[in-house]
Amino acid sequence: MVLVLALGDLHIPHRAPDLPAKFKSMLVPGKIQHIICTGNLCIKEVHDYLKTLCPDLHIARGEYDEDSRYPETKTITIGQFKVGLCHGHQVIPWGDLDSLAMLQRQLDVDILVTGHTHQFTAYKHEGGVVINPGSATGAHSSITYDVNPSFILMDIDGLRVVVYVYELIDGEVKVDKIDFKKTTATTAN
Amino acid sequence: MLKGNHKIPDRPRKVFPDMLGSLVLGFELKESENAGGSLASLESGEELKAFEPNGLGSVQPVAMSDFVDEKPKGTNLDIRSRLLRPAKDGHGQVSAMEGIIAADEKRSDLQYELSQPEINLEKLQRIANNGLPDGGGLRATAWKLLLGYLPPSHEMWEKDLTEHRSKYAKLKEELLSSPARWGENTTYAETIVESNINDGPLQRQKISPEDHPLSVGKSSAWSQFFQYTEIVEQIDRDLQRTHPDLKFFSGDTQSSRKHRESMKNVLLLFAKLNPAIRYVQGMNEVLAPIYYIFSTDPDEQNAANAEADSFSCFVRLLSDSVDHFCQQLDNSSVGILSTLSRLSDLLKENDEELWRHLEHTTKVKSQFYAFRWITLLLTQEFSFQSIMRIWDSLLSNPFGIQDMLLRVCCAMLLCLKGRLLCGDFIANLKLLQHYPTDINIDHLLNVATQLSPDTSSYSLSL
Repeated sequence: MVLVLALGDLHIPHRAPDLPAKFKSMLVPGKIQHIICTGNLCIKEVHDYLKTLCPDLHIARGEYDEDSRYPETKTITIGQFKVGLCHGHQVIPWGDLDSLAMLQRQLDVDILVTGHTHQFTAYKHEGGVVINPGSATGAHSSITYDVNPSFILMDIDGLRVVVYVYELIDGEVKVDKIDFKKTTATTAN
Repeated sequence: MLKGNHKIPDRPRKVFPDMLGSLVLGFELKESENAGGSLASLESGEELKAFEPNGLGSVQPVAMSDFVDEKPKGTNLDIRSRLLRPAKDGHGQVSAMEGIIAADEKRSDLQYELSQPEINLEKLQRIANNGLPDGGGLRATAWKLLLGYLPPSHEMWEKDLTEHRSKYAKLKEELLSSPARWGENTTYAETIVESNINDGPLQRQKISPEDHPLSVGKSSAWSQFFQYTEIVEQIDRDLQRTHPDLKFFSGDTQSSRKHRESMKNVLLLFAKLNPAIRYVQGMNEVLAPIYYIFSTDPDEQNAANAEADSFSCFVRLLSDSVDHFCQQLDNSSVGILSTLSRLSDLLKENDEELWRHLEHTTKVKSQFYAFRWITLLLTQEFSFQSIMRIWDSLLSNPFGIQDMLLRVCCAMLLCLKGRLLCGDFIANLKLLQHYPTDINIDHLLNVATQLSPDTSSYSLSL
């Protein structure tokens, strides 16, 4: 039972001062085993804060990140699942499922986590799962100002993943969950 | 087969092997019928090979004399030793016996007793008090009977065992499974998962407000789960350190990992069922001998269910000493401090000189050394083998484990009397906190049984 936090597009300090207080109160160290960050933190302080939540931190480079050493893409194996990470501004058209599926095949992963659109989405597409945790601070994106702060927490248990979706709607935290299973077929995806 | 000149003292005396003569210098049993003392006439270091009947009171002397080579001394000694033997059964002579014969006798007696349809617990206690044989699963069965896990009636064993084991499995299912599965309606979950097989947006489900891992509410299953992660971590750490010299527990083999996993389940379950005590460092040490004995049982059924059996027996074992682990009860009448003062009183009653020297002259208070002795049931003071032997006596005491435990602790002090009397605070503390390993366990247990009890005037004559 592995808990993986996926978030990104915080844009601190440029577009948002900090994570919403209600999110911050929920995120305590000791519960989460891995953190996957889609990028655009943007400063080192945010990196340090995330590091206090969990020492195993993976970040992909977003176009506004001040630390240029983050990789463009990353692949992590957690339990039975291969998880791919990329910010998403590199994939054009932004947020397009087919293009993201191409990236997924390229990285050869079961779950692809990308950001940049600042909108939460979760799709099953062509054999793999594409998830966008949205923006954890609700910062405006290049496309729209209408952004709800959101992030996700994945509970990976064997061949099954339960994704808890946390959204801040009208000042209240709303939690949903998504359940999916990996087929035991030995395909590349 | 007596070596050397064997001068038998004129007065009936308790005979101690001379190896400990120096240690028991000046040690005198006051009230008991046979005053003790060392056989000064023996050369030091010589093993006493007296043929004495073993503790079961069977027809030993006749059998033994067959082995003795027609030496008149041998038969004389036999008769004499029978006279020397006090009315108490088996607690008389302490000497290195002709191991094989004695052990075989013990084993066959025990096997006979255990095969009875209705087991006589008192007899079993008596047999066990003299040490149970290693190997063959006899110790495991005997301990289960002594702890009350198995009923005395043989035919009920099957039924009781299956009942206990299935109860354990249910408890495990209830308390140890992942919180994501708790209260889950499996058929509903399956349908949702099925619907997510096809391409398209993944379906989102509503969940009850507290039912997510980051919930901070006290009532949520998840927050309860996380409360125990700290305990789980501590249990893991302690188990890694349990008996590092034994391959059974330590190391990275699959079997040792499985054993540690089982012990972790037992300890975690205990912690969850006893929120007042939770897990205290050291419980792993108390569990280790039980689990070891049960899982090395040659009977496959028993070995496979060692986890379930050790859980129940662990609970029973701790039932009267569990208050020692609770910090709030430290100063109460059931807490550890009261037990420690009872130990002090026991020592005072049996050897005032030593007591005075320890408590007042050198100010070595019992809580400095005996805390670990008592809470951990002596598992940290002796080698693994010795612990088995000591626990045989502890578990078979008809007056309870705690009673015998205090006696053994007192005996431990008495056996070191010589060295303690010449030591100061530092030397004594050092000695008691690292109890010497060359002590003869049988002798120690004998001394323990001879002690005059601190409360009533009963005697253990059987």
